[in-house]
Amino acid sequence: MILRQCIGRPSAERDFCMSRFAAESGNGRIAYMLRVVSILFVLCFVAHTLSACTAPFRAKSRAPEGGCIYGGEVVIGITQEPGIFDPHTSVAAGDEEILFNIFEGLVKCTPSGEFVPALATDFTISDDAMTYTFTIRTGVIFHNGETMTPEDVVFSLSRAAGLETGIPLVSELSGIEAVEISGENEVRVILDAPDAELLPFFTAAIVPRFVSDFNDTPIGTGPFRFLSYRVCESVVLVRNNAYWQSGIPYLDKVTFKITTDMNTAFMQLRSGSIDIFPYLDPEKASQIRSDFQILSGESNLVHIFALNNRESPFDDPKVREAINYAIDRTELIRLLVDGEGTPIFSGMSPAMGTYYNASLENIFTYDPDRAIALLAEAGYPEGFEATVKVPSNYQHHVNAATVIADQLSRVGIDLSIVSVDWATWLSEVYSEREFQSTIIALTSDFAPRDVLSRYVSDAQNNFINYANPEYDAVFSRIQSEPDETERIKLYLKLQEFLADDSASVFFEDPRNIVAVSNELSGYVVYPIYVQDMSTVHYN
Amino acid sequence: MNYFLKRTFQLLCTVFLVSLITFAAFYVIPGDPARVILGPEASDGQIDALRVELGLDKPLTTRYFEWIAGAFRGDLGRSLTFRQPVSRLIAQKLPVTLSIAAMSILMTVLVAFPLGIVASGRPGKFLDQLFSVLGHIFFAFPPFVLALLMTLFLGLTLKLFVAGEYISYTDSIPGFIASLFYPSIAVAIPKIAISQKFIRASIIVEKEKDYIRTAKSHGLSDTKVMFRHILPNSLVPIITVFSIIASEILGGILVVEMVFNIPGISRLLITSINARDFPLTEGIVLYLAVMTVIVYFIADILHSLVDPRIRLR
Repeated sequence: MILRQCIGRPSAERDFCMSRFAAESGNGRIAYMLRVVSILFVLCFVAHTLSACTAPFRAKSRAPEGGCIYGGEVVIGITQEPGIFDPHTSVAAGDEEILFNIFEGLVKCTPSGEFVPALATDFTISDDAMTYTFTIRTGVIFHNGETMTPEDVVFSLSRAAGLETGIPLVSELSGIEAVEISGENEVRVILDAPDAELLPFFTAAIVPRFVSDFNDTPIGTGPFRFLSYRVCESVVLVRNNAYWQSGIPYLDKVTFKITTDMNTAFMQLRSGSIDIFPYLDPEKASQIRSDFQILSGESNLVHIFALNNRESPFDDPKVREAINYAIDRTELIRLLVDGEGTPIFSGMSPAMGTYYNASLENIFTYDPDRAIALLAEAGYPEGFEATVKVPSNYQHHVNAATVIADQLSRVGIDLSIVSVDWATWLSEVYSEREFQSTIIALTSDFAPRDVLSRYVSDAQNNFINYANPEYDAVFSRIQSEPDETERIKLYLKLQEFLADDSASVFFEDPRNIVAVSNELSGYVVYPIYVQDMSTVHYN
Repeated sequence: MNYFLKRTFQLLCTVFLVSLITFAAFYVIPGDPARVILGPEASDGQIDALRVELGLDKPLTTRYFEWIAGAFRGDLGRSLTFRQPVSRLIAQKLPVTLSIAAMSILMTVLVAFPLGIVASGRPGKFLDQLFSVLGHIFFAFPPFVLALLMTLFLGLTLKLFVAGEYISYTDSIPGFIASLFYPSIAVAIPKIAISQKFIRASIIVEKEKDYIRTAKSHGLSDTKVMFRHILPNSLVPIITVFSIIASEILGGILVVEMVFNIPGISRLLITSINARDFPLTEGIVLYLAVMTVIVYFIADILHSLVDPRIRLR
């Protein structure tokens, strides 16, 4: 359209004239605005429709209908990817917390740390502590429908102890020499050396003897059956309707949802896509106190600032002692876990009950002056520089390193923090023991021997390189000591050694804080790394 | 045909080089997968037994060459951590990442084009400035901040979606698409910001050209001029930008997958690296290399379609 204003102009100008009008035509302005508005409107409409479409797929309530306490589904959040479903091979804590619901052993651990009969109805230990005899429960059915027989028990224990292959899968059972059927529904376990403390390790799973690959098809006797495992997503268990214990479990389905980190899991807790979350940070727990039940219990963890006894300057016991006085445990616990932790001073947590040496409490007070004096005596009047290697995937240890570095700077020790990933930590610190100091939380079975065996000088897991021949001598006496009271005295003595030599800085047992949805009851916190879903039910 | 052969050769070279670099990284970095699987409480005997079972007693170089030989046959090996064939694991996670990628790219196209066109209409005026500022802000947001804010405001406060709820495609396809909707938005927003900029700039450059003035002076309406002339001719740099965006999204955006709890390829990759799972890492790296080369290949073809002067060489 040749505009009237431009007609009379010379041709070159005409072009220019029209292009100006083309760009700035008044009609265009309104059309332009309309265009913008309509596009935005369409976008909003589309977005709203799509989100309305997604409404039916949002979370429906997982509670059973009619207010019945039986039934329903629960989602529990875990932050470690499970790797192994074979109950004898799995050693990592993250696997065992799930497997506790699928498999059972002759005895079971209770929330108070006792070991009670499970698949065995009774047991006796011979006077010379060389023979354990178990009466096997009848009427127990495996998840595949087969009935559990004493042959299955023999098979399972032999497999766990590695009787055929020579390699014990459960290393604590390596002392077993033979397992045999000694009568109707009776199994006898014969050891190669007296050991009165083997009972806690008979939680080893009893599995059917004709199944070959347990990683693919985990079949046990527990309250829940394995349904599926989706990598990086979830492990789903369903109710075992043929469970031998009557009245439990309540739930139809349990989903262990794998979340990568604490913050994501926390958001899922708040949005309701997770019902239970254990090992919660105390500050996060305080944020949701009004919407959730917050339960806590002792974890039987030993949070340790580990000093490599073979690396200078930590090879000098005086230096290690100085550091024990330089650390303010109260402040550390307050800053790390908001006070939700118990201070410890030697290698065992008070969760272990009578085995814990309570006389060592406060043997190290916070005394920086004394620390400085001890350092001077050891030849470090100006302090020294050192490194602490922490696993970066555990925020608790990274935080602890920061606080400890600050506390040590007050006595002249310049501690620099080296953060490495988990695989590197396992390789460099734990296996090769190439480190000066590190921070980790030590877990163990609920057995005093398991807690303290790592400090024997030639122990495979003695990554702090503690070497005390007296300690070794006392430790080796325990296994053959028949009298329980005497054994307890020996355990107390071992803890004394660790404190007297300042083997490392043992500073806390952090409490395990669990957030549970208000719709649920029956969750119990265990002092071991398990999630017992058999007693959980909707209100 | 020459072109395809050349491209295939380039693909093979890229893939081989990338796998070699991954192998070198594994060689240098400390860490034992058997120890990572069993954890610190395992005894040395248990670790050794597992190492033999997983084939870790063979040196890494041998295992690498075995893996390459297998890869030629289509067998990517078995994951050490998950005891499943690598190809099966990748195939499980692929639909997730690909769906997010497809939805994000679709959103980017649907939103960035109108915004770019509108912004180019009046360069320097209010709307253009507004889009420019907003674009800068959204582009500057780190993806995880965006994802967290979305989860907080849209998810927890406004309850438009359930944070962390992921429905697998094996359970329900519509639910699957629905649960990926908001993560796709989180991925798309920074991409919209950057591509809107490119579209706008490209259109403005094109608009200045003489033939557009001629078209307008001949009476063609603004709409026709835009869609028949300006846009098609300004597509070349836009296709380049989109191919870069696509190759990035196809690898999965890790932080979005983590915050929204989506089990995609990037989460699998991080898990396998942390676990020092050599076959799985090589397998995923292979997938990423192949995907990137394919994306650029498609971009080349599109370039030649849009601009006949560009020949496939």
